[in-house]
Amino acid sequence: MTTASRRQHTLEVLVENSPGVLARVAGLFSRRAFNIDSLNVGPTENPAISKMMIVVGVEGHSLEQVIAQLDKLISVISIKEILTGEVKAVQDTQPDYQN
Amino acid sequence: MAKHVPTANGTEMTGATALVKSLEAAGVDVMFGLPGGAILPAYDPIFDSTIRHILVRHEQGAGHAATGYAQVTGRAGVCIATSGPGATNLVTPLMDAAMDSVPLIAITGQVPSAAIGTDAFQEADIRGITMPFTKHSYLITDPDEIPRAFAEAFHIATTGRPGPVLVDVAKDALQKMTKFNWPTSINLAGYKPQTTPNAQAITDAAALIAQSSKPVFYVGGGVIKADASGELRKLVELLGAPVVTTLMARGAFPDSHPLHMGMPGMHRTVAAVTALQKADLLITLGARFDDRVTGKLSTFAVNAKVIHADIDPAEIGKNRHADVAVVGDVKETISALIPALKAALAKNQPDLSAWLRQMNSLKSTYPLGYDAPSDGSLSPQHVIERIGQISGTDTIFTAGVGQHQMWASQFISYEKPRTWLNSGGAGTMGYGVPAAMGAKVGAPDTTVWAIDGDGCFQMTNQELVTCALNNIPIKVAIINNESLGMVRQWQTLFYEGRYSNTSLDSKRVPNFPMLAESMGCVGLSCERPEDLDKTIEKAMSINDQPVVVDFRVHRDAMVWPMVAAGTSNDEIMIARATAPDWDSQEL
Repeated sequence: MTTASRRQHTLEVLVENSPGVLARVAGLFSRRAFNIDSLNVGPTENPAISKMMIVVGVEGHSLEQVIAQLDKLISVISIKEILTGEVKAVQDTQPDYQN
Repeated sequence: MAKHVPTANGTEMTGATALVKSLEAAGVDVMFGLPGGAILPAYDPIFDSTIRHILVRHEQGAGHAATGYAQVTGRAGVCIATSGPGATNLVTPLMDAAMDSVPLIAITGQVPSAAIGTDAFQEADIRGITMPFTKHSYLITDPDEIPRAFAEAFHIATTGRPGPVLVDVAKDALQKMTKFNWPTSINLAGYKPQTTPNAQAITDAAALIAQSSKPVFYVGGGVIKADASGELRKLVELLGAPVVTTLMARGAFPDSHPLHMGMPGMHRTVAAVTALQKADLLITLGARFDDRVTGKLSTFAVNAKVIHADIDPAEIGKNRHADVAVVGDVKETISALIPALKAALAKNQPDLSAWLRQMNSLKSTYPLGYDAPSDGSLSPQHVIERIGQISGTDTIFTAGVGQHQMWASQFISYEKPRTWLNSGGAGTMGYGVPAAMGAKVGAPDTTVWAIDGDGCFQMTNQELVTCALNNIPIKVAIINNESLGMVRQWQTLFYEGRYSNTSLDSKRVPNFPMLAESMGCVGLSCERPEDLDKTIEKAMSINDQPVVVDFRVHRDAMVWPMVAAGTSNDEIMIARATAPDWDSQEL
């Protein structure tokens, strides 16, 4: 799976729990030629929100671009990168353009 | 959205009536569509609505008309179709609107919810089909969801980076009863477009501009979407740097302005391409480094730093690294940049005179031009140029896709925003006539010319029937070279003149003036240069009917300059195998 030129990142993505969300996310990765190494979907304490854990293989484009495109989906509420080896340390990697 | 609380609030009604009341509450005044089984319940209350429904002859026409309407008015365009083939006929307009960031609402009927997934008659998963190029989409099976879905759809389509939103409604949701409840506010957890630019980014951008000696304003269609032309002009004149406007930005900055170098890209002016290639700073406003502008990306503007201002954070760094990224509404961005730049220039006023001298020298050495055909036949460029000159700068022009589109972008002078409509990103042949129809509905007192090719015209001309029957008197110029001209040009240049399937030479079949007359339009033709002006003037004099003019032009005219696909902008050709004389330009 992992090659020297290819870096894996784990993203925790909160999405609306509504029909078609999985297709939107999977379709985005497919049409933008982003690589999904694994994808899990599960519930959260809020029944209106689901959590996706996506392992992304990044090559030829930046992680920022993957996150920015994911964030454009209206059904995506938030995206965080889980840093490898420090599962408890969660970093907000959404592009921060706020004042 | 949520313009006002409609009087219908709290009333019991069918889902179909709730759909129409939702459109009324959203301020819709016109929609383009064609009914069928699944959407039929909605057409009953449409019959009583104050909203004007224009019955098209093909759903694709409805989609492009709604786009034309949106591009001219700045408001969302609305198209409506039934399930299955009705819906799939909207696929091209939806893709087109996504590529050009057009606020478009597409309403489709869907088979009854119990039948979804059974391969029912006229069932198509239109939401799934259109997911790659809709900003968002809905499948409604519960009538109670209709008002909120439409309120959200209009909000999403018209805010942030505009785009198409599809609302697919199951037939039983239209038939069931509901209590109408138009939302007073919209709160989407996953959609909060940032319109106000970061203050530090503005300061950084101003500082970078004040340090540069070869800056250029690279202006894209976002400036028109944001209605920021007035602000742009102030900013440009404050700095006094050259400007290029992309295909989507024609009219964002007056062509007649001395700082305007023209268009960059595959078929653009030498001055505009060179301005980008030789600049030390690109001040990028609402543009997205499209491949038709950059050419081979690794050789594009290699010495330039980049300020990239865009409403869409995903455009930043997508194709080109940004040294300063400014995410926000470009009108707010430019408004904030003006005082910041004044302050920065007060500390350090760069001398741009040498840069401007170089640019102006290129502009005068390599003006756009064309040769009159040696056999005395009509020159397509001359036809388009004269239509522009005779019709004037208030006119709205639409185009199809191909040589005529490039010539219309080159040889008509655009002075005002929202006067040039074309299919830039998608390159949709057949866009011209239906887009002109929508534009004329949005601006009924303005002359609207569709500059079309004979290939494009044969894709969507059926909407002239719609125009004739609904008092939409557009004017259509068919630049008839009896070929798929742009493809033929590529065959001339890159396929050794092997003209595989690009000839539409057909002994005048169809006869365009007769075809136009049969559709309720006035049909004219012109094939001699000496008849050109009087033919255009005749077309200009007819305002109670659509007019179609068949301009029979020289076949071998080509679009120059040209940067061949996939090559560097540095390899721009001003004519076949002729590159500009770079060495004498000292750039």
